[in-house]
Amino acid sequence: MTVLTEVVAGVTLPPYRLRTSTVRLFRFSAVTWNAHRIHYDAEYARSEGYPDVLVQSHLHGCVLLNAVLAWAGPGVTLRSFGWQNRGIAVAGDELIVTGEVVEVRDAPGERVAELRLEERRQDGELCAPGHVTVAWPAGPAGPDGPAGP
Amino acid sequence: MGDGDTGVLVAAERRLAAETGVTRRRDLGVLAVRDLERFALVAGAPALPDGQAPPLYLSSVMGWSPGPPESELRPDGSGTDETRGLPLEGLRLMGAGQELQFHHPARAGDRVVETTTLLSVRHKSGRTGDLLLLHVRREFADGAGRPLVTCDETFVAR
Repeated sequence: MTVLTEVVAGVTLPPYRLRTSTVRLFRFSAVTWNAHRIHYDAEYARSEGYPDVLVQSHLHGCVLLNAVLAWAGPGVTLRSFGWQNRGIAVAGDELIVTGEVVEVRDAPGERVAELRLEERRQDGELCAPGHVTVAWPAGPAGPDGPAGP
Repeated sequence: MGDGDTGVLVAAERRLAAETGVTRRRDLGVLAVRDLERFALVAGAPALPDGQAPPLYLSSVMGWSPGPPESELRPDGSGTDETRGLPLEGLRLMGAGQELQFHHPARAGDRVVETTTLLSVRHKSGRTGDLLLLHVRREFADGAGRPLVTCDETFVAR
């Protein structure tokens, strides 16, 4: 979790890691009612030229956002977020998110930050670049007050 | 890619072009707290206060209806309800990313209404053969019409 005084352009997020597994992919498909065999049927995934079952495009998005929320703390409001699926990951891969604050601006009662994000596999291959805009309430202590409890 | 596959792609492009700009509206029902908690758990997302939905919940769910039965799924396992209702017969669809605007958090107990519009379909010749790039806009609102999330999503169809 971060403190608003630390939020300036150039600040980097602590790397966020999430290990995928066939169980996680199955359960993500189940809760999103995604019956695409490429996520749970390894033989089918291989028939399409992949080494194993694929991490869902939306799970890549979730992992990027997890990194932002873990860093920004519970007081943050998401304004906008986007990502592109550029490279695949399969069950067993570890996904690692890094990010950097590229712009900070103060508005009445809030501080707004824009970040650039990257999600890579453990071997360094880029899976999903992204970007996010977040805002914190300035609070009674002003824009330099703590972002969360 | 063989001529037959290109034919499938061209036919799909023609079907999809007729859908461009058409907006469909549907009631997704009431958000259940258990579904939101399960999503947060498997996505590794932090638990949110007041029954709030994880931010990517609405735009990640592929199917909102009970069906279709297995016999009506495509060979890759997908059903039309899980591909934004688009006429994609003969094609394989992959999500390629989203751009989201968050207006107001969705919460357990909210009734959610979705409007879907196919913004564009483009035929591209890439390194790995021909493909269609689809841009789909979905706007989620609560039962009172208050906007929750706007999601522009890119799909690659092969």
